Amino acid sequence: MTIPRVEMKNVRKRFGDNEVIKNINLKVDDNEVVVLIGPSGAGKSTVLRMINGLETTTSGEILIDGDDIAHAGKSINQMREKIGMVFQHFNLFPNMSVLDNITLAPVELGIRNKADAVTQAKQFLEVVGLTDKADAMPASLSGGQKQRVAIARALAMHPEIMLFDEPTSALDPEMVGDVLGVMRRLAKQGMTMVIVTHEMGFAREVADRVVFFADGELLEQGTPTDIFDHPQHPRLQQFLKQVLNV
Amino acid sequence: MKRKWLWSTLVAGFVALMVGFVPQPTQAATESYTIGTDVTFPPFEFANKQNQYVGIDIDLMNAIAKQQGFKVTIKPLGFNAAVQALEAGQIDGVIAGMSITPERQEKFAMSDPYYQSGTVMAVAKDAKIKGLSGLRGKRVAVKTGTASADYANAQKKKYGFSVVTFDDSNNMYQDVMTGNSAACFEDKPVMQYGIASGMKLKIVGKTTMKSDYGIAIKRSESATLLKKVNAGLKALKANGQYDKIVRKYLGNGSEAAQKKKTAGTSETDRSFMGLLKSNWGTLMSGLQQTLWLTILGILCATIVGVLVGLLGVVPNKFAQGAATTFIYIFRGLPMMVLALFIYSGVPSLINEKIPAFVAGIITLTLNEGAYTAAFVKGGIAAVNPGQMEAARSLGLPWGKAMRRVILPQGIKIMVPSFINQFIITLKDTSILSVLGLLELTQTGKIIIARNMEGFKIWSMIALIYLIIITLLTWLSNWVQKRVNAA
Repeated sequence: MTIPRVEMKNVRKRFGDNEVIKNINLKVDDNEVVVLIGPSGAGKSTVLRMINGLETTTSGEILIDGDDIAHAGKSINQMREKIGMVFQHFNLFPNMSVLDNITLAPVELGIRNKADAVTQAKQFLEVVGLTDKADAMPASLSGGQKQRVAIARALAMHPEIMLFDEPTSALDPEMVGDVLGVMRRLAKQGMTMVIVTHEMGFAREVADRVVFFADGELLEQGTPTDIFDHPQHPRLQQFLKQVLNV
Repeated sequence: MKRKWLWSTLVAGFVALMVGFVPQPTQAATESYTIGTDVTFPPFEFANKQNQYVGIDIDLMNAIAKQQGFKVTIKPLGFNAAVQALEAGQIDGVIAGMSITPERQEKFAMSDPYYQSGTVMAVAKDAKIKGLSGLRGKRVAVKTGTASADYANAQKKKYGFSVVTFDDSNNMYQDVMTGNSAACFEDKPVMQYGIASGMKLKIVGKTTMKSDYGIAIKRSESATLLKKVNAGLKALKANGQYDKIVRKYLGNGSEAAQKKKTAGTSETDRSFMGLLKSNWGTLMSGLQQTLWLTILGILCATIVGVLVGLLGVVPNKFAQGAATTFIYIFRGLPMMVLALFIYSGVPSLINEKIPAFVAGIITLTLNEGAYTAAFVKGGIAAVNPGQMEAARSLGLPWGKAMRRVILPQGIKIMVPSFINQFIITLKDTSILSVLGLLELTQTGKIIIARNMEGFKIWSMIALIYLIIITLLTWLSNWVQKRVNAA
């Protein structure tokens, strides 16, 4: 059996007496698309951010290809190189052009020379459909365009895992489609993805597995059909009723 | 890439300047001594209209040095600063019309007396006060640390007056002339000379507290310098040179003779333009010193401030604590206290002289550096935390993320604070006049001590500061535009 790409073992996070993440066990296999759903404050984003070490853990292990990122020390930078992350608020670097946003990490980390990085960046801009925006500054882009640049920026590191933290929540409705389109293509190409989203239709469509969180606990997981058509846990049934009937 | 070039230039310049400050070993061919004096204590020491220091003390000290064959550098530090510098061992002696008192004899090696003086009381020319008994309920001005001040303090209970203290004679005289104080107490020759130079005061009552002036020498020099000074004094008195020097400044004691003497040392054209013209060179050399202090101060404070500010955001509790402590201490200390502490406090601890200019730069570096560190830290903290997360999520180490992503954004936030700090640094250099540095403010004090034209000279000084601040603001705004365009 192959090692899972991501494996969380008994992961907890506590602030004083307040346990925000309660004993999470979660595996993500290679080429798998896992979608995390659940009400706000359930801990989905926290779990996602733990996977690349942006969030600390109180106890437990988070193995990336078998290496514990929660206790990685300095090697965390190398581990992060293979985990791309896309944020709700894009977090593009406003002081650099679109092209520089994308080439910064590969060039700074000595992975590519400047010329190679630029050629590659243009290819990724094509993938996300923004070839003409290479020299634009982030401030001049729409939300949807910013998010697609952010995806291109993450892809430029050739990640083996992509994390998406509510990538469409801050977008105008007409922009959502473009971003989901890019993500759909990535999923089809076999990218390992962990996605936190409120787009239930998208989850049903692209997910290999859907994971339901509430109050810091992993309550139920399964195929989209299991989760959306045959929910077991009353908390999940209640949640789906609320989000699908809106 | 461009920024790297800028930093390396700055650092190289800084290092070059600091190397220039390292005290060069002094040659020991003939002994060389540094003697401190007051900035304004005519006829003993004062600047003439060529802004050269002259007076009985100056001529006497130079004559002693010549007679005894040693080199002497006389520094007009101000009476208090000179005494403090002597205590701290920064200088070798003080000649400043200093009365020989038991306390001073205990602290310093005092030379044989070279002039007998006494305390007189002076009131405004048109005042009706005739003596101490007329002072009940009134305020009296004295100069800090003088024998006359001790006298006034000893009498205040008996005669029921209060005492206000000034740092130099001129401010004390002004206080009496404006009527804020009813009288002042001053050494007799000084008072005579002042009145002869046109101060609207008159001496009332008798001369009291007859005292002898002596030269204070550092205790450790009592076997060497003190002996030479005493031998020199004796020789000069014997060969008549001493009398010649005293006569040169006090004439035969008559008022007419005094007036004639003073005319030779003071300006004839007292209009604003006339004064500006005759003091132009002096003001410009003061300005030059101010600019040097400002430029070096800004440079050092910026480097230290940026480093400490960065230390304050490094994800390490110890580093953050160190930065916070630095900011807490040096932002909390009044700059004047810090300056005096470094200049006269630290040397007595480390047994090593710190030149006033270096002490001034260190003061500016620590004080302005603390403010700079505070806003650098704040500027970095003001950058959206998502920026750091995004950079780190790409695998960039903390340092690279800071340098390429956070700092460029933080600097834009900090630019207005930097400009503000540069202007404050320029203004704060005036505080360094307490170290006797001949910068613009100290220059003003000295010129006024000579010509008593407080209003006009302070106006000139104020104008010069405003012009420089305007230029600095223009320069800063230009830089700000460039930064924002980048």
